[in-house]
Amino acid sequence: MKKLLSFRFLILISILAISAALFAAGCEKKMEPGPEEVTEDLGPIKIGFAGPMSGDAAAYGEIIRNGIMMKIEEINEAGGINGRMMELVVGDELCDPKEAATIAQKFASDEEILAVVGHVCSSATLAALPYYKDAGLPAVSPTATNVDVCKKSEWMFRDVYRDDFQGEFMAKYAKEVLGLTTVGIFHENNDYAIGLMEAFKKGAEEIGLEVVGVESYVKDTVDFTPQLTKFKHLAPDGIFIAGYYQQGGLILNQAKKLGLITQFMGADGLNNPKLIEIAGEDASSGFIASSPFVYEAAGGEALKFKKNFEKKYNGMTPDWMAANGYDAVGIIAKAIEECGADRAKIRDCLAGMNTADKGYKGITGVTFFDENGDCLKPAYVTIIKGGEFVAAEKQMF
Amino acid sequence: MVFDQLISNFKLGIDYALEQLINGINIGGIYALIAVGYTMVYGIIELINFAHGEIYMLGAYLAFTFYVMLKLPFPVAVLLSIFSCMLLGIFLEFIAYRPLRNAPRLAALITAIGASLFLQNLALIIWGGIPKSFPELTLPDYFQSPIITIYGSASISLLQYNIFFITVFLMLGLHLLITRTKIGTAMRACAQDKTTASLMGINVNRVITFTFAVGSSLGAVAGILAGLYYNIIKHTIGYVAGVKAFAAAVLGGIGNVPGAMLGGFVLGIAETFGAGYISSPYRDGIAYAVMILVIVFRPSGILGRKQSVKV
Repeated sequence: MKKLLSFRFLILISILAISAALFAAGCEKKMEPGPEEVTEDLGPIKIGFAGPMSGDAAAYGEIIRNGIMMKIEEINEAGGINGRMMELVVGDELCDPKEAATIAQKFASDEEILAVVGHVCSSATLAALPYYKDAGLPAVSPTATNVDVCKKSEWMFRDVYRDDFQGEFMAKYAKEVLGLTTVGIFHENNDYAIGLMEAFKKGAEEIGLEVVGVESYVKDTVDFTPQLTKFKHLAPDGIFIAGYYQQGGLILNQAKKLGLITQFMGADGLNNPKLIEIAGEDASSGFIASSPFVYEAAGGEALKFKKNFEKKYNGMTPDWMAANGYDAVGIIAKAIEECGADRAKIRDCLAGMNTADKGYKGITGVTFFDENGDCLKPAYVTIIKGGEFVAAEKQMF
Repeated sequence: MVFDQLISNFKLGIDYALEQLINGINIGGIYALIAVGYTMVYGIIELINFAHGEIYMLGAYLAFTFYVMLKLPFPVAVLLSIFSCMLLGIFLEFIAYRPLRNAPRLAALITAIGASLFLQNLALIIWGGIPKSFPELTLPDYFQSPIITIYGSASISLLQYNIFFITVFLMLGLHLLITRTKIGTAMRACAQDKTTASLMGINVNRVITFTFAVGSSLGAVAGILAGLYYNIIKHTIGYVAGVKAFAAAVLGGIGNVPGAMLGGFVLGIAETFGAGYISSPYRDGIAYAVMILVIVFRPSGILGRKQSVKV
């Protein structure tokens, strides 16, 4: 009898202890970061970068990080922001919503991190949003294009366009410039691709472009042969792929192996050199993708950036994501410089960049935000020729 | 909604069905090669070698390393990879399973899972987190893909054609090995009753080592073929393929080698038809549903025999 009683007592005490600990931890997270101490030595300004540094989408993370580092080093060489050097804290979230939430929590609770460049994938960004909102940490995404990203939080901004615009743009381009009459769609089952697919479908319906089939796939799919076989028999003029470079590359590669000949098209997610590597030069030649940014069209500063990037990173060619990452840092740096090194002040400053004159002039053009935090930017079209992405001859604006 | 898809897909006709069948046989052949490894080991020592999927994964990685990173000629790279995996399989048996031969089965099972995790993470450390692929233009001609038309508008690629013949050839070879050679007979004897076999003068340890060697070699070949076909190699492919191949082995009757081959093809075809006629996200669900149905109506698998309890 006595033994039972003391055992139960122990359990009760442990439950109380654990609840107390959890309660305390929870409370700590909800506290707003306190005001900066006014001392002479304030240390470096830290910003976070959250993106996929390993796994299927690692190429995105690497190239954006490189773009970010270029800007940070540039700023530091020029003396930093108001005398303080910039430092980057990298969080690897594998483009996965669960990991993104973890990284977001980590960044939010590190009071030295004043702003975040991220996340990269739309699903991950949407998962991280609530944490940045709770902690009052401003974030600028260089690449998340899903329609809802900025709407859901006033702490979220982006310097890339939205998928409703992009999807309809590609549908229009397919019909008017490429002259296609029927089209099939491949999409991944995630927020980015589904949003993009819906936008493309809507755009296609509006202009009379027939969608003959829509095939979806889940993350980590490697075998696309059954669906490609189906498309082979439906024989559309073109196939639009809404997804990331890993699966896109495999689709192109396997399509070639099956003898499926059609005009493959894609959007920003597929605009990465790794796609060509995975698909093989043969299978990817002639592939068309929309892009938020094209170096040849932007001229001057952009080409200089491209040259310096290639020199610094052993011949790696920067893509539009690197340029957006570079500018995202520039935008945050401008906000810090003008309004102060404080999370809430940075956020208000960003929200205040709401016209072209108040915007940030970077290598990707002028970035300014609307009331949601979205920015209006034109879309370009690129094509794979000679083993690399180049600007397509016929652009559409 | 699923039914509309089904009906519209049926309308695509027999050429389409034929092509999907070929896709299914291709992937089924790869599953079959891995499944026989599982089933042979289980037949003799009643252990589910969870690390077998990782041998498949390492076969692909090693072939990639020898061919792309060390720039050896393709046939040499393939043979070296198969040989290394064979050694790895033997090594695994010696270190992880043999010491537990007389321990409770649960201990060996947990060791197998541990070995699987260990190998996965080892691959992650050695080759990194970024998936790898074979650079296509440098592969020898017989793996490039001119298209061959077979019926109407159904056509297959040379690669699919080759994969099919390689898998069939290897499985025939294995069948001959098991039924017509001395060591094969020894394997079957050990599967029936280890103690009596050793009383008959069979060196059971050597037979087990040989079984692991053969299973691992076939697993390595499966890995290389899958690496060529899908053009993606990463440290997690072993887990997925392993689970499906194990399911295939159970489907065909665990411990039965022709059963494992049949199970592999059935699973591959079910999966492909599921993806081709219904919808890709459902493909795994459909494959496993087929497996469950078979097991429910025939618990010992398609070709398995009811285990009678010996008094």
